[in-house]
Amino acid sequence: MSKVRPAKLSRELARKVLEGYGEVAGVQCAVLFSSDGFEIASHAADAAASARLAAIGSSLAALGTALAGEAGLGDFERTTIESNGGAVTIMRVGSSRSMSLAVVAGKDAVLGQLLWATQRCCQALAKLLDP
Amino acid sequence: MSGVEAGEFKIVFTGPMGAGKTTAIAAISEVEPVRTEVENTDRVAHAKESTTVGFDFGRITLADGSVVRLYGTPGQMRYRFMWDILGRGAAGVIVLLDASAPGALVQLDVFVDAFIPHVAHGALVVGVGRTDVPNAPSTDAFAARLDARGIVAPVLSVDVRRQGDVMMLVRTLVCILGSHTAHGVPA
Repeated sequence: MSKVRPAKLSRELARKVLEGYGEVAGVQCAVLFSSDGFEIASHAADAAASARLAAIGSSLAALGTALAGEAGLGDFERTTIESNGGAVTIMRVGSSRSMSLAVVAGKDAVLGQLLWATQRCCQALAKLLDP
Repeated sequence: MSGVEAGEFKIVFTGPMGAGKTTAIAAISEVEPVRTEVENTDRVAHAKESTTVGFDFGRITLADGSVVRLYGTPGQMRYRFMWDILGRGAAGVIVLLDASAPGALVQLDVFVDAFIPHVAHGALVVGVGRTDVPNAPSTDAFAARLDARGIVAPVLSVDVRRQGDVMMLVRTLVCILGSHTAHGVPA
């Protein structure tokens, strides 16, 4: 369990990374979660919302993995759901399949900037959680 | 149940974590099943290594040429949203339970309540595994539980690793579907 469930200290550090990332224009909230749908750290989302985002995000990441595999495209990296109110991006953290980040952004976010910032955030989290 | 007349329909395998949904679909699917298993980090809930977080998908062709699409749900309550997504448009539902798991009878209620609204004519079959474990409730106990709530559904003892056992669940469900549709699906 400890392999994918980081210790309390790293959870706190992860939360700090997310807090910094929350400054990116348009970002409404962010949730770091395990591949089986448990929240590890979150920013600007209450407990109920982050638990739901973690569960739904993990399903999308798993479906993304299945689809990429089916198409012979290798590992899942990220997926973005765009709607008229904004966008949600699910991005894998690090090279393992153990965790991903879900980010909810409003209409004011520029998608390219959002993806770039999310990638930077995932890289910082990967370093933190698997030094 | 628009899919039944077209000769292609959908059956959903559901039930709590560790009941054997992924195993059951793999046991009968004629194509390599689509799986969405990831590492299970909640070993308190269940000791197994991996768990389905999206859905399983398989397919079988019945003797009359009907194609059955088989979907398996995640079992944990946090994936409740997937139950409704997968339940929509299902011709019938197979609820799998592990009789030796704590609260197996209560789990029956949870999954029956969640899926009954999705299926017409009570197209539901219950498959119970590990009834031979000491102190585990018998299939009769599960049937009595349904009966007490006025739900009529077959309850069968199964080993989901056995193709024959899983096919028996499917055939039983197809019989129920056939008895309720004008252009029924023969078993």
